[in-house]
Amino acid sequence: MEFDFKKLGFTLLGLLIVLNWGLLMSAIMRKINARVAKRYGIPWYQPWVDLVKNYAIRSQITHGIMFYLGPVFRFSGGVGLFLFMPMLITAGGQWTNYSFQGDLVLILYFQFFGMLGMALGAGEGGHPYSAIGISRGLSQFTAIEVPMTLAVISLAIQYQTLSIADIVKAQQGGIMNWTMWTNPVATIAAMLSLLGALAHAPFNLVRAPNEIPIGPPTEYHSTFLGVLQTNAAVLHVVEAALFMNLFFGGASNWFEFIVKTFLIYFWSVFVGTVFPRYRIEHSVSWFLKVPLVLGIIAIIIFM
Amino acid sequence: MVSPFYLLGVGLGLGFLLGLTGKNSKKYTSAITFVAFAFFVFFSISWLIPFALKQVTETLIYTAGFLPPFSISLSVGFYEAVFSLMINSLGLLSILFLWKKINSESNALGGIILVLFMTLNMLVFARDIFNIFVWLEIAAISTSGIILLDKNKFSYSAGFKYLLASSIISSLYLIGVVLVYFTNGTLFLNDLITNASGVTMSVTAVFLMLIAIVLELKPFPANGWALDVYEGANPAIGAIMSGGVATASLFLLYKFSPLLDNKFSYLFVIAGLLTFVGSNLFGIKQDKANRLLGYSSIGQIGLLVAIIGFRPFLGDKFEFIAITILVSHFLAKAGLFWLSDVIKQDNIKNWSVLRRKPLLLVLFGIFVFSLIGLPPFPSFFGKWELIMMLSGGYKFAVVTIILVGSFIEAIYLFRWLGYAIKLDFSELPEYKFELNKIIPVVIFGALVLGAGYYAGNLICLKTLNYIPLAFIVLLYFIDSLPAYIKNTLSILALGYYSYLILPNLYETDMLRFIFAVIFLIGGIITLVAGYAYKGKRQGFYPVALLMYVGLALIIQAQTTLEFFFGWELMTAGSYFLIIRGKKSIEHGLSYILFSIGGAYAILAAFGLIYAETSDILLSSLSVATQNITLIFSLLAIGFMTKTASLGLHIWLPGAHAEAESDVSPMVSAILLKAGVFGLFILMIAMGHNPEAEQIGLILGWIGALTALVGNLAAAFQEDAKRLLAYSSISQLGYILFGLAMMTHLGWMSAMVYSINHFLYKSILFLTIGAVVLKVGTHDMYKMGGLIKNMPLAFIAVLIGIIALSGVPPLSGFAGKWLFYNAIIDKHWYFQGAIVFFSGIVAFLYLFKLIYSVFLGQLKDNLRKVKDISVWFAIPIYILIIGIMIISAKPELYLKPLGTMISGFYPNGELSWTGGLANAPYGYWNGSGVMITIGIMFSLLFLWLWSLSRKAQKVKQFNIVYAAEAPQRPETTHISYNIYAGYYKSIGWIVAPIFEKFWSTMTEWIHSVSDFGRRIYNGNGQYYMTHILIYMLAFYFILMH
Repeated sequence: MEFDFKKLGFTLLGLLIVLNWGLLMSAIMRKINARVAKRYGIPWYQPWVDLVKNYAIRSQITHGIMFYLGPVFRFSGGVGLFLFMPMLITAGGQWTNYSFQGDLVLILYFQFFGMLGMALGAGEGGHPYSAIGISRGLSQFTAIEVPMTLAVISLAIQYQTLSIADIVKAQQGGIMNWTMWTNPVATIAAMLSLLGALAHAPFNLVRAPNEIPIGPPTEYHSTFLGVLQTNAAVLHVVEAALFMNLFFGGASNWFEFIVKTFLIYFWSVFVGTVFPRYRIEHSVSWFLKVPLVLGIIAIIIFM
Repeated sequence: MVSPFYLLGVGLGLGFLLGLTGKNSKKYTSAITFVAFAFFVFFSISWLIPFALKQVTETLIYTAGFLPPFSISLSVGFYEAVFSLMINSLGLLSILFLWKKINSESNALGGIILVLFMTLNMLVFARDIFNIFVWLEIAAISTSGIILLDKNKFSYSAGFKYLLASSIISSLYLIGVVLVYFTNGTLFLNDLITNASGVTMSVTAVFLMLIAIVLELKPFPANGWALDVYEGANPAIGAIMSGGVATASLFLLYKFSPLLDNKFSYLFVIAGLLTFVGSNLFGIKQDKANRLLGYSSIGQIGLLVAIIGFRPFLGDKFEFIAITILVSHFLAKAGLFWLSDVIKQDNIKNWSVLRRKPLLLVLFGIFVFSLIGLPPFPSFFGKWELIMMLSGGYKFAVVTIILVGSFIEAIYLFRWLGYAIKLDFSELPEYKFELNKIIPVVIFGALVLGAGYYAGNLICLKTLNYIPLAFIVLLYFIDSLPAYIKNTLSILALGYYSYLILPNLYETDMLRFIFAVIFLIGGIITLVAGYAYKGKRQGFYPVALLMYVGLALIIQAQTTLEFFFGWELMTAGSYFLIIRGKKSIEHGLSYILFSIGGAYAILAAFGLIYAETSDILLSSLSVATQNITLIFSLLAIGFMTKTASLGLHIWLPGAHAEAESDVSPMVSAILLKAGVFGLFILMIAMGHNPEAEQIGLILGWIGALTALVGNLAAAFQEDAKRLLAYSSISQLGYILFGLAMMTHLGWMSAMVYSINHFLYKSILFLTIGAVVLKVGTHDMYKMGGLIKNMPLAFIAVLIGIIALSGVPPLSGFAGKWLFYNAIIDKHWYFQGAIVFFSGIVAFLYLFKLIYSVFLGQLKDNLRKVKDISVWFAIPIYILIIGIMIISAKPELYLKPLGTMISGFYPNGELSWTGGLANAPYGYWNGSGVMITIGIMFSLLFLWLWSLSRKAQKVKQFNIVYAAEAPQRPETTHISYNIYAGYYKSIGWIVAPIFEKFWSTMTEWIHSVSDFGRRIYNGNGQYYMTHILIYMLAFYFILMH
């Protein structure tokens, strides 16, 4: 098989776009949060500043090889999701990345790659808060995945395929063909699960960002933190892109992509600024109530 | 051929003479009696050989030239000779056993025993019903004489009760005889059978004679006196009672059975089955060894009485069934009573002293196995034929009762065996290892093995392969050699066996080939870890190989009998493997009970199939058309006890967790696949019936719920091996789910899971087992930070959990991907959603496992721990290579699997374009994903490394900790109850309802047993009343 340099070039370009868009979007969201809390907030370029600063710091310590590999796993997870996800569905097909290697199921399970690696790295850090954060994160994630899985099954029944590109293609031809109209229940279930996946309030106990530092990254600093931040920027956009592809008709150009991913991401920020935080047992139970029922209804409709 | 009258002469003559000799000649009594018994045995053989060679036919012998009814007529035929040989050889060995006792007691003892055995012979031969009465009386008197051998109040009381009971019984018999003579004018049994007088016999007369013989056989519940006798008398006398007296009485019943019409057969069946179930049930609560043997003895005789009642249904198999079961009982019970006398322990918990002489423990195991009817003992074949014939006669209720009774018997026998194998005996007194007492036990042990071989050949026409079993016996004999020699031999044996069968299977049967690889190659790989063990490791290799032989036989089985034979061997071997664990006593019991229950379900199903097809070929499973829901359900339940599906899973966590480090992977990664293989056989047989769809639907739900409950429960464990055990439960749930779909993709996923589970669960169990050997605890919260000491183990577990979790790019993802496609294809959305949810829950325990053991804070007491043994690392890394290969090139095994499954389900195959697999709904390129992720991961790693290659490793407590440095790893390592919040939220799903259900069941059975056995209050008058009530009750049943 001949190596396709053009494909690689477009993919790397796409990654660059997604990374920068992710950084910008996180700045905007922090700004929105600040304004709601009657603060001024950060300048829009703050994430770039942070990145440069973190990568520049040279005084580093490590807790061992797995600790060192944690961020690599995490970042591979983010980039991998990007690689296996079609970004834009266009006639030329330049922006579909390496999604020809696997379908939606690959995406769903590859999410764990970064999570697991990060959890292990943080585990070797030896900080009790990391372990607590991971245990909460995993607990919550199992619950988040329930409505998501049901929604995905519902979609698979509806479109008779697990290929993301095919799902996007099936939604073309006008806004009324989008899954959010043709399968609203599944869309709602999935959007509720997205709240947990993006881990803003009320589902942000995993990192508890507002008070004591807790959660997997507790021990990570400087370059490690830089890598994690880079990943976060990519990952958030890619996750939003997944939902865009599945429920909101996908995108055929970067402008559409930016608008849609912004709105999807904004949904979780919006909810997060309005609601207080759940304890972990509450959030688990929450996902297993209304979102679960919605997911079941979504399947029953298409059975 | 010696005339039986010489027997009479020698017996009576010598018996009385011995009583007359003086004190000085006492020391020769044993020798004289022994010679007399040697003559008895010679007598029996002199008859048996001509009969066996078919040189003579049945011979009638009359006294003093008179013809019946005036002569004492004796008849000798083949079966008479067999029974006489059994009785006389027991007598001979009893004398040997009692040698010193006879010499030290009064001279009369030897004489009494001689008279008793002579009488028993006469009971077998006599054809005159009054004459039989006389012999019954002599037998009763002499028996009560020897019961008094031990001089204590128990034996006196027992002897007295025995006399009372026998006199009532013989009175009943005598009245019957009188009435018969009154109506028919003859006492000659042959005339009565042929009805020479032309007068129909009075029902009451026949009833009285028959009920007397039945009562002689101690029917439940009119048998309190007998139990007291077994308990109070010397165990060696128990052996004579159980092996000799009961055998003769049974033959008496057999002799009278031609007199039976249907009504009487019915009576025998009721009396027998009631005894079989009732006696075993009441035995459950018993902890006195001799009394327990009494219960068991009475139960077995009850089964034989029922078999005699069923004679018309059993056709030409009757003799085979009756004799195999009787011989097993006869040899085993005598052996057990003798063992009881050797070790002089009445409480079954103290039978652990057997282990002082391992030979005795092996003999005990042999006897227990032959009582329960496990292969390769004769009763296994007897019970098999019995179930087949009864099923063939559509006696399903009876089959159920027999299986229930056998199961109850297994409960107490295996509990006893467990005590003997496991309990501590250091505090118990020593016992003498007297050769004259050991030789009889060894002879009977050898005989029961030989009889099993003979019976197996009779029934199977030599298709059973005994060479592996012979190898196991060899392993036993070299058990005193160092472990590594036996390990090498075992590996070579498995390797040779693989070489023999694998190439052929590869050509002919892919399904069996895959399972054979898992069983045999998996066996070799896990055995390699055995080199890590120092010393002799006594008893390990014979039982490990027994399990593998069983597994191999299942693969090769062509008939249901061979399958069941292999299945039971595998169960037996794995039981012994499991119970080797330090705290495994109760887990071993629960494992074997579930297994036996399951095996009986399978047996019942095979019986039902036989009933319809009259065929025992495995292929006839798919021919059955009647009762198929029942058949398939029974088979499914049977196999699901082995796969530990929800409800039948409670044995697994303890059994796997407490097993030794290299046994856990054997019983988890390999053994459980036997159940999967069984389910495959079942599903193939079910084909595409509408009923099959229904069963599949139920199995699918069971599988999905098993997966969920298993994974959730695993997440809440603190014991690393228990965690893995629960994980196995859930993985087997996935496999069951995939199988139950009965579609191409469903089976693909089930096969993929089976193979992968074998690989990663072997890795995980071996690694964790090896870690446990080093750190000395299973509790994860007591470990932590071991990555620094055990990098090899860490990498193995890391790869194991990534593969298990199904995260790409490792091989577990194939299963997940296939599942998604399969459930959408099958429309099993909700079950599927549960399966996926449980797949995600798996992350909880997988993280907990690797984190709590290897990450976090290293404990002070573990700072000097070394990496796992290289002998564990070798098999682990071989398996890892396997995982890596099938991860990088999944088409290597997915394509052949697809071809194989297309043979069963041609629709819905994967289509392949190079490495890209296309399913009906999705697509996946395993190699491509692996390469992409590999390149990306390496690049990112290099990038980070270029940025921070100067990173310095800091000390353990150098962490951001609220401005303090923590001092104690115990308080800093967060592991115990780490998912407390999760438990609060959905812990109710894993509430131990099934554990409660089974423990309530157990309690009920025990309560019933405990309450019921109070009717045996030790009062002789009550016992006599029982006998009369029993007789009257049956009389009324018969008359109506």
